[in-house]
Amino acid sequence: MYRRFLLTLWLLPVLVMFFTSCVEETTPELEEEKFARLYDDNRFNESIIPIDVAQTTDGGYLVLAKRRLPESHFTGIYLMKVNSRGEFEAAQELDVQYVNPVGELMVADGNHYFFCMDELTVQTHLVRVSENLEDIAVNPLQAGLTYPAAASLQGNEFLLLSYDHMEKLSVLSLVRPDGVVTASQGYDIGVGDEVEEPIINHFIGGGKKFPFQTGRIPGGAYFFNGFYNYTFSLVFTDLNSEEPMGVVQGQHDDGGFSAVLPIVSTKFAAARFNFGDNFLLPNVVLPPNAITSSVDYPGNTLPELVPNATVKILRTTIDGTQTLVFASETRSKQIALLFYDEATGALLGSHYLGFSNPFEVASVIATEDDGLLVCGTAYLAGRFPRICLFKLPKEELAEKVRR
Amino acid sequence: MKGLLLIALVSFSLTSAFSQPGGNKSGSRKKNRVSYMTKDRMQREENKFLEKQWWLGLKGGTNLTKAIVTKHFSGVSPANYPIADALKEYEDFKSYGSQVTLEGTFYFRQLSLSLQPTYSRSRFVYSNYYAWSDPENAGHSLELHYRQTQKTEHLVIPLLVRYDITATRLRPFIQAGAFAALLINAGKEVTISGTDYASGGEHEFSGDPIIVGAKDLFAPAFYGLMGGVGAHYHQGNIRLSLDISYRYGLTNIVSPANRYGNDRLAGVGDAMDDMTMDNIVISVGCVFPLRFLGNAYKAVDNK
Repeated sequence: MYRRFLLTLWLLPVLVMFFTSCVEETTPELEEEKFARLYDDNRFNESIIPIDVAQTTDGGYLVLAKRRLPESHFTGIYLMKVNSRGEFEAAQELDVQYVNPVGELMVADGNHYFFCMDELTVQTHLVRVSENLEDIAVNPLQAGLTYPAAASLQGNEFLLLSYDHMEKLSVLSLVRPDGVVTASQGYDIGVGDEVEEPIINHFIGGGKKFPFQTGRIPGGAYFFNGFYNYTFSLVFTDLNSEEPMGVVQGQHDDGGFSAVLPIVSTKFAAARFNFGDNFLLPNVVLPPNAITSSVDYPGNTLPELVPNATVKILRTTIDGTQTLVFASETRSKQIALLFYDEATGALLGSHYLGFSNPFEVASVIATEDDGLLVCGTAYLAGRFPRICLFKLPKEELAEKVRR
Repeated sequence: MKGLLLIALVSFSLTSAFSQPGGNKSGSRKKNRVSYMTKDRMQREENKFLEKQWWLGLKGGTNLTKAIVTKHFSGVSPANYPIADALKEYEDFKSYGSQVTLEGTFYFRQLSLSLQPTYSRSRFVYSNYYAWSDPENAGHSLELHYRQTQKTEHLVIPLLVRYDITATRLRPFIQAGAFAALLINAGKEVTISGTDYASGGEHEFSGDPIIVGAKDLFAPAFYGLMGGVGAHYHQGNIRLSLDISYRYGLTNIVSPANRYGNDRLAGVGDAMDDMTMDNIVISVGCVFPLRFLGNAYKAVDNK
């Protein structure tokens, strides 16, 4: 028995080697692959609501947000830089003269750009931001564009949607990074104060927000999601005529598209709202040369989403599958991620973020390591709006879309 | 479930042991039997018994836990105040756990090699404090206090070398060795309380706790060293024991890959630090000899 016992002792080194191989260690890669951060600001009256996020060349992230200004009807500008692990690095609050920051946060010439406006003149300004937030330049556009509403990067230029409150026009413009407007076209919103009222309310803090957006069909027409001819509409244009090429009309200010992502030619991924209901359309054909109505495109109804929910759509590849990620917010105040097969429009999986505190989505981007970064608003203690970031690793995403 | 199985196994073993012949109850019969032995033979058996023996037994007791942070992590990242203000405050050796141990010991001339698989439940607590205020209006203030209780269940497998300081009926001993701890289960309980000065007066509130299974947040295994002191008291065939040990964790008890894996906890800004875990373990129990009891010999180690 004694000998047998001694023999078993020889197993000890083997066991030690086995156990050592099981030791859990934190690595820099692990810290970057997955994290969840709530960025707190201990000022009671502060409200910081993110708009968009972009990855920086050092692997970190730059967040554009708006903040409540006690002395203004408009929201101020807040920028935050975090490192690749989501750890806070720096923040900047721009002078209160500059208000109404507008996404997207666009990258050109190694800098990040976004639009805002002057509080007094409501003139549109272009803001250039260095990655580390140490160099911020705010310059007015040469053309007198007012009330910027949405922007996107198209090639080397920015496609800007703004509102001309004097002429009552939705204005779509191409703007170079140096602030020169190379093309611009206005589209009549209709006559009467009741048409303009929801637009102005959108810009004022606390008013109903509309999903203004700009974009371009690859190699084709430009489009904007905004007010045209008395309704919140998806308008296609070549920027040469004040008459649109085609329009998908909404229901005055109660219906329309909440997000649009062109895939190819007339194929789109989209989401629409209609009197509070939400519909996701991961695979829809929208004719850019015809006049149709948003209700012509039924889509998947999602009662779990808040009425007129914010929706962000991302096109990315997950586990080798071209995937459309729809990010939105639920009635239970979580951020919902719904994954659809781009080819078939079939739902692949879902994932929900945020519990215990209320959460709202602001943006979702693909990261360099094939993961996802979800940016949103977390209401700390149920009441203080603050920025939150959720980084999801590619392995976890693959599990979500695997059947 | 695994703990129950362990207890059942040990109970069965003990029942079997006490049912063996050679106990004190057969008093006069044994005296007669002993009277037939020569003194030499008795001495030989006594020496055999003392010099080399297997002991098997059961012990149980309580433990206290201290978490030692090796790297800080936080789900809340302060943007306008020092990160030190968001660090967790740990309560060291304040929460009681429990354990039950099956002890198998080989004894040889006052030295013992002991394997002591233990089902151990440990608890430790940390807290976060957050406050929001307005320097221009004292009434605009809210304080929140997050108290997080971690409950872990491990199968701890220590291998110890023990030295009996004396060879008397009451035997003090010292012991030292190493252990591996395999995670069986874990849970977390978050209690949120606070004081709201902004809603019309000083209002203290406390919410229902958030209780979640948290096995994924902990490492499947961790390792460490342990040492301690104790004493055996010989009573008939068995030894009663009391020992106090210190388990010194050497490796991370947290799973870094799953640090943010629980959405309910991430939602309140919780992210576990990398940490090792130390325990003060107090146990009482009894062991019984496995050799000679099958024959006619009573325990002779009764000095």
